[in-house]
Amino acid sequence: MVKKTKIMVDHSKCHTGASTDPRDCRKCLFVCDPAVFLMHPTLEDHPDPHNPEIWRIDPIWLSKCTGCMKCVEVCPEQAITVVPGVTLHEMKAR
Amino acid sequence: MCEWCFKHGDGGKWYNNARLYRNELADEYNCSEYLEEQWKNMETLFIRKIMGFNSIGLGYKMKMPIIGKVIRKVVEGQIHSEKKNRNPVRADGHFGQVLPLEDAQHIIGNLAAEPIIKNYCVCRWMQRGVKDAVCINFGQLSEVIEKHTRYIPEGVKYKLDREEAIQALQEQNEKGYIASVWFQPVPYINAICSCETPECGGLRLRNDFDLRTVYKGEYVIDIDIDNCQGCKSCVSMCQFNALRYLPSIKRVIVDLDKCFGCGVCRHACKHDALNLVPREDVPGQAGKY
Repeated sequence: MVKKTKIMVDHSKCHTGASTDPRDCRKCLFVCDPAVFLMHPTLEDHPDPHNPEIWRIDPIWLSKCTGCMKCVEVCPEQAITVVPGVTLHEMKAR
Repeated sequence: MCEWCFKHGDGGKWYNNARLYRNELADEYNCSEYLEEQWKNMETLFIRKIMGFNSIGLGYKMKMPIIGKVIRKVVEGQIHSEKKNRNPVRADGHFGQVLPLEDAQHIIGNLAAEPIIKNYCVCRWMQRGVKDAVCINFGQLSEVIEKHTRYIPEGVKYKLDREEAIQALQEQNEKGYIASVWFQPVPYINAICSCETPECGGLRLRNDFDLRTVYKGEYVIDIDIDNCQGCKSCVSMCQFNALRYLPSIKRVIVDLDKCFGCGVCRHACKHDALNLVPREDVPGQAGKY
């Protein structure tokens, strides 16, 4: 079994309405070289799909995370935890 | 000429086929309805579950024995789907090809249907948090996107005439963005993007997971060894890691297997050492899109 990278974003700290709104902050998106994170309107609260109000940040491309921890350092709410694992690059080399 | 040229090119490259840009064709495939649904939900594409799977940790999922192969087959089937019941929220039938600036400008100048607009790149916004108005859309897609204010650039003229769009493409290409043309859905063509890796959703799936969301261009780069002065300027332009400088021979080398034929590196070369040649003329690259 490969040891997968785990990235947790604590949505009780990072959410629309919190002291730092993900749409205004976006620091993790900016510092991540492989662009692992994705900012998206939530699927549940979607009152106006033409102009969604509620956005979230989730890690998507986990296998591309190189474990640099810059997102953990930059997050003003300390909402991100990273446990590095095997990357896609390493898996291809095998 | 890739497989889509043979299917939809009517004797030429698919993106040079004027028929595929027409409103009549879009109506025949109910594209307006599809595009409306697709663009309402564009940013949720990768978190949405499709048959129990979303794209979270896709690299690990596709490396799983058997299941990985099934996912690959299903996803490629959706990307290239020409079926009647295509699902717009998972962007069925939405894929494209890298193309050099000249071809992109030819499309805008001669083939694209009016109205032409530019809008914020969705990929760059959701993956990098940057608002960059670099996507040129035309035909029925322009009318759909205009309804969604979050995609429309603020404080600038976003409705473009052909000349302005050609100029915009030129500037973006010189900056280092890769021009790409898109079916949305196949066979209707309505967008030319200026992409950047790794944010671009299409190039991401192609480069990292080898899913054919973006085909390689109809050309590859050819380095004139005699002209190359080893200034390395072109290396910084390549988004595919195809170019590299070797101190021992004091020139740049190219990995043709990685070259997408976008031609962006040419803007950096002051010594006329980089030229595009048709992919089909290079025996080792012919047919590899």
